[in-house]
Order: sequence, then structure tokens, then C-alpha cells
Amino acid sequence: MTTTRRGLLQFLGGSAVGALFTPAPWRLITDTALWSENWPGIPRPARGEIRAKFTNCSLCTAGCAVRARSVGDQPVALAGVAGGLCPFGLTAHHLPYHPARLKQGPVKEAAAAVADAIAQCGPSEHVAVLDLRPGRTASWTYRRAMASVHNGLYLAPPEPTVAVNLRNAKTVLSLGAPLLDGWGTPADVFAARDGFRLIQAEPIESRTAALADQWIVWDRPPGLSADATSLSALAQAIAGEMTVSEAATITGLPADQIQSLVKELKDNGPALVVDSEMSPAVVALNVRLGSWGRTIGPRQEAPVPESWKKAAPRTDLAAVPDRSIRVLLIDESTPGEYLPWESIEKKLAANAVVGAFAPWTQGYGRHAQYVLPTAVYPEALDDIPPAIDSVAAAFRIAAPLVAPPAGMVSPVEFIAGAAGLPASDALRERADAIHKAGRGTLVTYADGKSIPVKDVKPEDFWKSLNAGARWVDGALGAAVAAAGVASGLGGADPLVRSRPPGRLSAPAQQADEGVGSGPGGPPHYPLTIVTESRAAFLSSPLLSQIYQESNLRLAPNRIALHPTDAASSGIADGAHAFLETRDGKREVQVTVDSSVRPGVVLVVGQTDTASSGAKVVRI
Amino acid sequence: MRGIIPFVAGAAIALSAGWAGFPYAIYKSRPQPVDFSHRVHAEKAGAKCEDCHAFRNDGTFAGIPSLDKCTGCHAAAMGTTAAEKNFIDQYVTPQREPQWAAYARQPENVFFSHIAHVKLGQVKCETCHGDQGSTDKLPRYQEDRISGYSRDIWGTAGRPGMTMDNCVDCHRKQKLEREHSCLECHK
Repeated sequence: MTTTRRGLLQFLGGSAVGALFTPAPWRLITDTALWSENWPGIPRPARGEIRAKFTNCSLCTAGCAVRARSVGDQPVALAGVAGGLCPFGLTAHHLPYHPARLKQGPVKEAAAAVADAIAQCGPSEHVAVLDLRPGRTASWTYRRAMASVHNGLYLAPPEPTVAVNLRNAKTVLSLGAPLLDGWGTPADVFAARDGFRLIQAEPIESRTAALADQWIVWDRPPGLSADATSLSALAQAIAGEMTVSEAATITGLPADQIQSLVKELKDNGPALVVDSEMSPAVVALNVRLGSWGRTIGPRQEAPVPESWKKAAPRTDLAAVPDRSIRVLLIDESTPGEYLPWESIEKKLAANAVVGAFAPWTQGYGRHAQYVLPTAVYPEALDDIPPAIDSVAAAFRIAAPLVAPPAGMVSPVEFIAGAAGLPASDALRERADAIHKAGRGTLVTYADGKSIPVKDVKPEDFWKSLNAGARWVDGALGAAVAAAGVASGLGGADPLVRSRPPGRLSAPAQQADEGVGSGPGGPPHYPLTIVTESRAAFLSSPLLSQIYQESNLRLAPNRIALHPTDAASSGIADGAHAFLETRDGKREVQVTVDSSVRPGVVLVVGQTDTASSGAKVVRI
Repeated sequence: MRGIIPFVAGAAIALSAGWAGFPYAIYKSRPQPVDFSHRVHAEKAGAKCEDCHAFRNDGTFAGIPSLDKCTGCHAAAMGTTAAEKNFIDQYVTPQREPQWAAYARQPENVFFSHIAHVKLGQVKCETCHGDQGSTDKLPRYQEDRISGYSRDIWGTAGRPGMTMDNCVDCHRKQKLEREHSCLECHK
């Protein structure tokens, strides 16, 4: 028998057909797929003993209690305790591994430069610390450090002087505050939501407006330099000192709407009026409504050691003379409220030394000579100041879930060292001071117990705090009632005080100029900027980076336009453009959104403001 | 007609190689480190499955017991068998963990909760692991040369496999209606 090519092909054909009726080819396909699961570079879940660790989230002042599922020493999943976590909190254990994470910095050079600059500081020059999240124990250290150096300044965004109690409120008038969108302690706000009627007054249909019982489209919103006047008019209408029609003229709201609003606030009490910053005008309106001591009261702070009280007070950046800061150290290790660099830069001396403590370079690090890497939640040990809706004083620690990488700098140690403060464990000292005060309750989430502080030993108190427990002052409510109008907030009429200007709002005189100017005259700015208010911490580069990557919400580098305005500017969705005002211009990315009103350009900010005089220019 | 002979021959060779030779080629086989008898432990020591394959206090499953568990009884030799002597000499005395090969090891991206199935679902150990608990000798561990998984995950006569299809089939039979929830099982 001879082997022919035809025979060989028949043999191979038979083999192929036969093979199809065996498990071999099918198993090889399956096995190859399974083998591909084990290729190098594919992430592998950690193996080890599974444990639960407790801490408090420090991404914002809500300070939600966190239960971390850990495999060995590695947290692999975060969840809320007796409540949920926001998307940031749920994924916070990924933050240390962000590709933009700063891993090293010129620590020795920075220390030497700062020491030199402090030594050479002139008599009219200042050493300053900018703290983006005041109210922490670290903030007290910065204040003490600045008190111990010549011409030291402690700079920080203004802290609210009041706390609100939503659980006691029956009617809440929100003047653009993002009440249901990350304001205060979100879990507590939503827990109290069923107990009050919410009236949201703002020019855009924000998430809070959409979820409110009533949305008032206030085309002349608070923040357009007339807020104190508008609120004063509203307050006088409530008190019967002004007619509804007069108030309508001043506020820009229809008279019938003012009338129903006044009736609602007076008849369905206790009422509460809030805005993003709890400005003095809003506090005064609450006082007029009789809400002081019921739904609003002075902010309480956890005890501090007596020796700390010789600390530098907070200084407003605007009050610092131009070109007078010789050394500026900025702590942006935790998300906080950002001040525009333009307002900082003009305060710096010509030969100023600027150091930023940050986990990333996207923030002030772009302008500082020295950027020093810091630990980030959940690596960093820090405490969390109470939120705006925290009626009682509280103390909770964001205990580290993982160890920070080598080379991280503690801003507290650096600044205290530069100022010559003796090294100490400030958090421990403060915990001891709280324990020494002997009041309040220790709430431990691991076992769900509440124990009076006087029944806990100091060492156990400290250990519990580091295991995610929190101290809550037992004088809840009593302090609010006792402080009452005598706190000073109700004494002088805060209505006459001016509100801090909105960060992105143009001055009123500028806002009214130039609108409608024709060709050949001054520049034509046909659009009105409306700022979508947002919790301050969300403007942090740490979190805005996530916005920019996910595009889930309007990121700080984005604006939104109505399709008509986008078309008239020749801009498509996703295109890059310049947002131009009289103050300058910046590059932005455009989102075309039909829910934005025509003639409006929507931007992100921390306060609800509106200003006319803007245009969008195609790049 | 003669032309069909090479075709049939090729098909026959492929069929026999595929059914008889392929399993030997694809799997490598090795014995377990200790000649362990489940039957002896169950009958003579009266041990139940959960005595050694226990749940921890937090609900997680301990899986294959560690040497500490074994030395609770086998601190010294219990009997004169060669297997016992080997176990004492090789592992107990030098305090060396036996490197057991897990027949039911699941992929890294799968989370299987024993306590949910055993306590909540009342599924018996034998349903998935077969009559392992009454055998006198541990079968040789056969590892797929390509995928690295045990041959046992494909199941045998009378015992379902441990593939995702098997999980889904069982859940469908129980009308649990959770087979479309990826994150129930996948990390």
C-alpha cells in the first residue's frame, strides 16, 4: 500500500473529525481561558486572616464611621457603620495607590530653606500657615506654632460659628445650600429628612432642588451682593416690619411666593434657614424666626489642654498686607476649602518661600517651591472637626488602616519643628484633656456600646479612639439652649454685617457693566455665570481628580452650557474652550446640557452665586 | 471505498488518543503529603466534618485544618501505622505544616461562603465534596497542567462539579434566582 497525498489528507481529515468528538479540543479551549486568569500582572486578591477594623473617614467633616474588612493588614473593602458611605468613602482604600500619588520630596532642602527664611524674616514680614481644614487638633498645633514665631499668622477658611439641628426642624428654607447633596453629615441629614418640609431657593434645579418639597427659582440669588438686603427684607417681612410687596421688590421674588414663604416659616415651626456658609445674615434670620436654641446654636468644640490656649487666632487672608508673607506653609494633606491662588500670590513677598504638604501635585503644589509628600486617608492619623449639623462637640480620629509608605512627611511635625515647638503627641494630649474634663460619652462601633467617659480609664479611652470610637459631648442640646441669644450672635444685628464674598462671583459693579455692549465697544459678555454650590471638600484636587476621571458630575475643570449657547459659540460637547470674564480667562471643557437654562454658564463652586458678564470662546 | 480507510483510521486514532491518552497528558498527579483516612477519624475518633473543617467566630471558614489542630490529638503517635509514624516524624516533630493540595480550590476572583451554604442553605458537605468524608485514603491530586486547577472541579459520577455552571445550575434548581448577581460570588 502506497502513501499518497490524498490518503494523507484523508487521514488528517479523519483525525480532525475524530478529535472533535473527544474532550481534548474543548478542554484545551477552557484551560487556555482559565490559564489566562493567572497571567502576570493580573491583580490577585490578598490572602490572609480576615479581620474587621474600625475608623472614621476623614475625607470630609461628616467623619462617617467606617468598618474596614481587612485581609491581614490590607483593607480590601470599606463600609459604613449604622449608615452608608458615599462613593468616595467606599473606595477610599484605593486612594493611596492613585497613579498621581506623590512619593518623595525635597524634605531636607525645604526644612533648610524654611529655617533660613524664618531667620531672615523682616520686621514687617510674616511667617504663615494656611490650613485648609481648620478645627482639627493639627490646626491647634499650627496656631500654637504661629504664636511662637515672630509675626506668625494662622490662615484658614472661615469656620462656621453655628451648628444646626435638623432633627428639631419642621420647615427648612435652604438658600442654595446643597442640603441633600453632601452637606453636613449626609447620613444624618437623610435620617432627619422625613421630619421637615424642605424649601429650596436657588436658580438651578440642583439635586437638592429636585428632591425638595418646594423649589423656588430665585433668579436673584443670595450671593449677588444683595443677599444681606434680600434676607433682611425677608426677615422684616416675617416680623411684619415690611410689607410683602416691598419685600418682593427687594428680593425679586413674586409677592404671593413671599407671602406663602413667610406664612410657612412662621406657622410651621421650628423653622430653620440655611445657606452654604451659614452667613451672619442667615443666622440673624434664624434669630428673627425664634429658632435660636431650637434648630440652631453655637458650634461646640471638644476640650483642649489649657496650655494650648495661647494660640494665634485665625487671620483672614484678605486682612494680610500685600507682599508681606515671607514663609508660607500650606497643609493640603486633607481635603478642605481652597482659596484661589491669585488671592494668595499677591500676599507673598518677592523672595517668599512656599511649601505645600500634599499627597498630589495638582493643588498648590503647582505654585510652591517645595512640595512635600504626606500620608493620605486611610494612612494618615488625624482627627475630624465636627460638621455643620453636629450640635454636640465631638472628637473622632481617622485611625490609619494601612501604614504610609516611607518618606512621607507629617505637616504637623514639620511646622512645629520649624517654629521650635517641643515635639509632642498633640492628639494624645487632647484626648487626655477630653478625658480629664470627665463629661460626654464614648461610642464604640466595634461592639455598639456607649460608655460614660468617667467610667473609662485614660489609656482605654485613647485605645478606643484609635480603634474607631468617637467621643460625643453629653451636654447635647443643653449647651445650645443655655447659650441662646446671650452667645453674642443674637445680640448685635448680624443683618448689617456683610457676607463673605462668593469665591467666583464678580463684584456687583462689574457684574452690571458691559452687558449687551455691542461690537467696537467694550467686550461683549452675553452669558451669566451660575455657580452650582457644592460641599467645600469636593473642590479639593484629591476628589476633583476623581470627578475629572469619572465625569460623573460637573468637574471643576468643566462648564455646562445650553445647546443653543453652545451652538452660537461654535462649541461641541466635550470641546475645550476658554471661559472669559473681565477678571481673566481659564481653559475649561464644555458639557452641553439641555437642562441648563439658555444664557447661563454653569460652573462648580462652593457657594451659590451668580454673576453676569461672561463668554465662552472656542479654542 | 479504499479511500475511506485513511479517514476512518485517522478518526479512530484521534478518538482513542483523545479519550484515553489526553487525560494522562493534561493532568499531572501527585500524592497528598500525609496518608490521611477520613474514615478512621470519623469512625474511631467520632469526629464530625465541622470538628476539623470549622467555622471561625466571625463566620469565615477555616478550610483545611492547620497542624495545630492535628497536634491537638496527635502530639504523640496514635498507633503504629507507617502513615502515623511518617506524619509524626515529618510534620509534628519538626512543626512543619503539611502542604495539602486542595481539591476544591476556587479561582482568585471567586468568593464562596461556606457558612451561607451550610448554615443558611442547609447544604450537606457531601453534596459538593462527595463521599470524601468516608474514604479510607485520599485520592491523588491531579492538577491540570495548563489551568493549574484540580481535576476534581469537573465533578464525578454522583457528585456535581465546582464550576460556575454547576453553581448556577444548583441555584436555578433551588429557585434562588440569584444567578445574575455577579458580585454575590465574584470579588
